[in-house]
Amino acid sequence: MTAGESVVGTGESTAAADTTASGAGDAEPGLVVDGLRKTFGSGPDTVTAVDGVSLTVDRGSVVGVLGPNGAGKTTLIKSILGMVYPDEGEVRIDGVDARESPRSAYAGVDAMLEGARNDYWRLTVRENLRYFATISGVAPDSVAARHDRLLDRLGLAEKADVAVRDLSRGMKQKVSLASVLAGGATVVFLDEPTLGLDVESSRTLQRELRRLVAEEDLTVVLSSHDMDVVETVCDRVVIMSEGRIVADDSVDALLRTDDSHRLELTSPAFDDGLLGALAERDGVVGTASLDRGGRIELRADSEELYALMAALDDRGVALETVRSVERDLEDAFVDITGTGGPEP
Amino acid sequence: MTADGAGAATADGAPEPRRAGYLQLMRAVLYREYLVFVRYPANAVGGVVVALFFFGLLFYGGRMVAGRALTDSIEGIIVGYFLWTLSVGAYSSISNDIGSEVQWGTLERHVMTPFGFAPVALAKGVAKLVRTFLTSAFILAVMLVMTGTTLSLHLLTVVPIAALTVVSVLGLGFAAGGITVLYKRVGNWLNLLQFGFIVLISAPALDLGWARLLPLAHGSALLQRSMVGGTRLWEFSVLDLALLVGVAAGYLAGGYLVFQAATRRARRLGVLGDY
Repeated sequence: MTAGESVVGTGESTAAADTTASGAGDAEPGLVVDGLRKTFGSGPDTVTAVDGVSLTVDRGSVVGVLGPNGAGKTTLIKSILGMVYPDEGEVRIDGVDARESPRSAYAGVDAMLEGARNDYWRLTVRENLRYFATISGVAPDSVAARHDRLLDRLGLAEKADVAVRDLSRGMKQKVSLASVLAGGATVVFLDEPTLGLDVESSRTLQRELRRLVAEEDLTVVLSSHDMDVVETVCDRVVIMSEGRIVADDSVDALLRTDDSHRLELTSPAFDDGLLGALAERDGVVGTASLDRGGRIELRADSEELYALMAALDDRGVALETVRSVERDLEDAFVDITGTGGPEP
Repeated sequence: MTADGAGAATADGAPEPRRAGYLQLMRAVLYREYLVFVRYPANAVGGVVVALFFFGLLFYGGRMVAGRALTDSIEGIIVGYFLWTLSVGAYSSISNDIGSEVQWGTLERHVMTPFGFAPVALAKGVAKLVRTFLTSAFILAVMLVMTGTTLSLHLLTVVPIAALTVVSVLGLGFAAGGITVLYKRVGNWLNLLQFGFIVLISAPALDLGWARLLPLAHGSALLQRSMVGGTRLWEFSVLDLALLVGVAAGYLAGGYLVFQAATRRARRLGVLGDY
């Protein structure tokens, strides 16, 4: 666990990791979710969208929420934001109970839920910032300097007086982020913040987001299907499946699990019959047929590696290539959820 | 943070943000409405042209068919048409606005506001009402010129009575807005109710006592008396004015409660902001 993380888990199987490792000290966490549960429908048609989720996010940290379609990510985020009333559970934002004092709890919260369409395209960039600062309960004149700083930081200063509709997609996305931060929100929810951006724009936004988190001590909950974004921006990742949290750890820890070191072997002699036999062996995590022969992937630190090599030698199988495979977050996600990949 | 924020500063030397009050909220919402109006006047101009086109059809077509009978009652028709354009603007403002906010993805941000969703929606409704007053005043002026009619336009009488009259419709708009949050694409069906306003505006002619409790009806009668008959605000009976205020407050409060209930239900069902 890295600094800034704390207790997380599902209702029954609370992976009650340690409390904060360092950094946060006695400070109230930015966000505490305790036993959140939400069902839709009734009787046999009841669907449990969120099933007893507990989650703590310390101030100044970025948590990514991942999960396949229908995992409950959106319902969880909307429940935290008060847009969906949960059946059970508590949400505390900066120490304030969201059910008892919603206006006070959400005073420092803002969200970018719909990508670029998160502000008024007919207004200019600066007008949006002033309007949404006011809606957030902050007098816009008192944060004018902050707005200038934000626009400067996000490369929007020259476009401050341009209507949002006349900006590129990347610029619009940045305006969304700026307007979310315009009122001085301390807890921010970002849903697919880089959706539809080209690689360069996405990287710029990721970089600026990370810098803003550090400078403004923001608490961010981010949902994205883009693993690069999650790896770059998030301190910690929460993976959901069927309404529960099935994994919660730092990005580094998820990438460096015991079986994270793997080898990929290819050979023209790997025909379908041999691949089928190899797939049954311990340590082999995947096989695939190629145009010429096949490919197997196996855990590099498994004892089986030596036995396998000996068996291949006995059969006279000559290997064509041997290479080390870097495990990325997507691999970790696939292993944990058993799906083909994250979906937004 | 000080009461007005003066002199306070954050650790990095930047001024401490000051809280915005309801006055600033209203100003921000009105300013946004103004910006959209002056920058993209096509919608407003289109509405005015359509309203005047239909009035032209009513007036010139009616004169050909009914002749003097229509000319004799033209003052009442103009007042009624003016009130109808006001009512349609007030009614559709909230529900249409909410529908647009859902599409733009800005609704959620108005839900999370520390002011509360309903007060912000009310502020936006009032802003739309102000805009509608301006366009309806223009329509009224053109109607008077078109027909060569004169009416008593004592502002201290006409504005409060017209405003209180359409506040009851604003309440209906609030209820419609709540239903839009719940059921989304029902806007077109709800807009059909606008034609019911014609009946309500002409309800005084039916001379039914209970009809005065309906939205628009009593206010319409008072507006006719002031604009056609020249009655001043202080010349109305206390009972008339109390009924005007009571009906306005009643429908606004009722609509507000329906809106609150509908948005609560939308949150329970998880459909708030869905489109």
